[in-house]
Amino acid sequence: MTFDLDLIVLYLPDIVRALGVTILLWLAGSALGLLVGFLIAVARRYGPRWLDWALLAPVELIRGTPFLVQIFLLYYGGPFIGLSLDSITAGLLGLTIYGAAYYSELWRSGFVAIPKGHVEAAQCVGLNRTQTLRRIILPEMTMLLLPSMVNMTILMLKETAILSIISVPELTLAVSALGTKYYAFVEGFAILALVYWALVEACSALGRYAESRLSKYRFAVS
Amino acid sequence: MSAKPAIKVEKLVKRFGKTTVLEGIDLAVERGQVTCLIGPSGSGKSTLLRCIALLEEANEGFIEINGEPLGFASGPNGERVRLPSSETQKVRAHIGMVFQQFNLWPHMTALGNVTEALVTVRRMLRKDAEQRAMTQLSNVGLSDRAGHYPSELSGGQQQRVAIARALALDPDIMLFDEPTSSLDPELTGEVLAVMRDLAESGMTMLVVTHEIGFAASVGSKIVFLDQGKLIVEGKPEEVFGKPRHERIDQFLDTYLDRGAATLL
Amino acid sequence: MSWKLFWLLVEAARLTILLSVISVSIGFLLSSLVCAAVMSTHRSARIAGKLFVSFFRGTPLLVQLLLIYYLLPQIGLNVPSEVAAIVGMSLCTAAYQAEILRGGFSSVPRGLIEAANMCGFSKFAIFRRIRLPIAVQLTIPALISEAIMMLKSSSLVSVVGVVELSRMAQDLAASTYRPLELFAAAGLIYLIINLVVAGFGLQLEKRMQWGRT
Repeated sequence: MTFDLDLIVLYLPDIVRALGVTILLWLAGSALGLLVGFLIAVARRYGPRWLDWALLAPVELIRGTPFLVQIFLLYYGGPFIGLSLDSITAGLLGLTIYGAAYYSELWRSGFVAIPKGHVEAAQCVGLNRTQTLRRIILPEMTMLLLPSMVNMTILMLKETAILSIISVPELTLAVSALGTKYYAFVEGFAILALVYWALVEACSALGRYAESRLSKYRFAVS
Repeated sequence: MSAKPAIKVEKLVKRFGKTTVLEGIDLAVERGQVTCLIGPSGSGKSTLLRCIALLEEANEGFIEINGEPLGFASGPNGERVRLPSSETQKVRAHIGMVFQQFNLWPHMTALGNVTEALVTVRRMLRKDAEQRAMTQLSNVGLSDRAGHYPSELSGGQQQRVAIARALALDPDIMLFDEPTSSLDPELTGEVLAVMRDLAESGMTMLVVTHEIGFAASVGSKIVFLDQGKLIVEGKPEEVFGKPRHERIDQFLDTYLDRGAATLL
Repeated sequence: MSWKLFWLLVEAARLTILLSVISVSIGFLLSSLVCAAVMSTHRSARIAGKLFVSFFRGTPLLVQLLLIYYLLPQIGLNVPSEVAAIVGMSLCTAAYQAEILRGGFSSVPRGLIEAANMCGFSKFAIFRRIRLPIAVQLTIPALISEAIMMLKSSSLVSVVGVVELSRMAQDLAASTYRPLELFAAAGLIYLIINLVVAGFGLQLEKRMQWGRT
């Protein structure tokens, strides 16, 4: 009935493998989401007006609907439009799209938050657009957006649990399976919660550390 | 030295939407002179400076820097012809700009701020760039603050770094947009002192300022703007001395506490 | 997709709205307690509050729901799955709302409180007349987005067998073999509800503004 230590030891390799899938999907989904989100934000800010409008709809659609429904649509609806994906690919694609929508809004808020004068100063000393973006805007945004980016990335980790519903072999699915096998749900999910909690706390501790390292770059009073 | 003025502004018009901010400004800034732009807020003096720095694009008129057209050239029938941006960047390199809000980049140290354009734009070796930057920083009395981030510097120190940043690129014209307006009174002096030194070294300067005392003592020419028009220009003693233009009188009245009292 | 199917989805959406409204409301009441604990002068209360916030923000809602769903019967509480869902959602949103409220209170400028002190306000009066109204005004946008977040997250209660909007869509998709239309329709309904909530939030924000800040 209960989860004894032997069981944990017995299934530790399974759990570790599933944890690996979770972390891999999380990191890959976040990295891709960050990148695609950045491209969307740049296109919306610096591209033509119509592109901004064209990208508004999909971003708001993603942000306005549950991740679960998006995943269902992609995984179960995909084959009907010739998009048959295995669960891991569908999961990663879903995470990327979902993350890109949210990250793009964060990037956009970063563009807005940088004082116009900092860009003008760069123009005045002759930096061109790419140089300004690379040397001034991006580094400034990094420190400005760090807390919200860390939050979003933590959210991404928690969303990976939802992928268990389309049977991606990640942590939540592995623990649920064990729970079913030994009817030890409470113990299983309690330990599962602790694992996620530890990961989230580690991630936010890392974020706080990075923030404290960057704190001296905080905006000077002007 | 050529006879051409360092800055020549011709019939410059700037509109923001329906409001006309500059209504046909003509202005010449001679080489080696310090020209001070004064006027009430909203008179368009900052906009004029920003047009010369090409941070704003004027709607009509022409600007020449050392005799070369900036942004637009005059066509055969006097129409405006947009110049390629490479051309514009070349002309713009003659100009250094100092902002009211300093606009130091917060993620770089004082040294990093001064070095940035030398390395990124001028393609100097970092070692040489840093050497040059250190010289500039010590000229503004901040060599001991080179490793500090903007947030660790006082407003006056930040503004001096901003001046060093502009000077490091070796401009022959310096534009100042209310450089002391966001400083506490006790920090204003250190910035004005740096500007005074710069003026004495023969730098061509165009300064938008509310420091009437500075304008009167350092300025070789005073230009008074009001509601987008150039009202009076001349030597300080002509502009401030009696008899005075009635608008200048009104203006100075509101500035009694800024060192204008001695002029009345 | 027939209107009949769509109507079934709309019917199920009523449960989605009901669950969300109840959970967000209970969560708000809970969150004021949690926020009070976190900002309290008692060390143990502070630690308990912080642990609560950290745990419920630090674990996936899905896992929380599963845990609560299986835990309640084990401690002798045989409740319908809807109730388990409400318990899970309320606890989770309480943690988020507590954090939002704390942020609001700590953003009230110190000077305003000092000014009230100098005017002779009591501590309670300062709280009621100065800190609370300003904190609420500062947190309205964040609370609205949290409500929208919960509306979307309510789809997760489908895993513990509550037939709300997303579960209805799953069931219908399985029986009609038309997942594309059904999940798209479900997404559309979520989007519409969220737009309404967001619109309401904007109205509220406008109402609560005292001139421009």
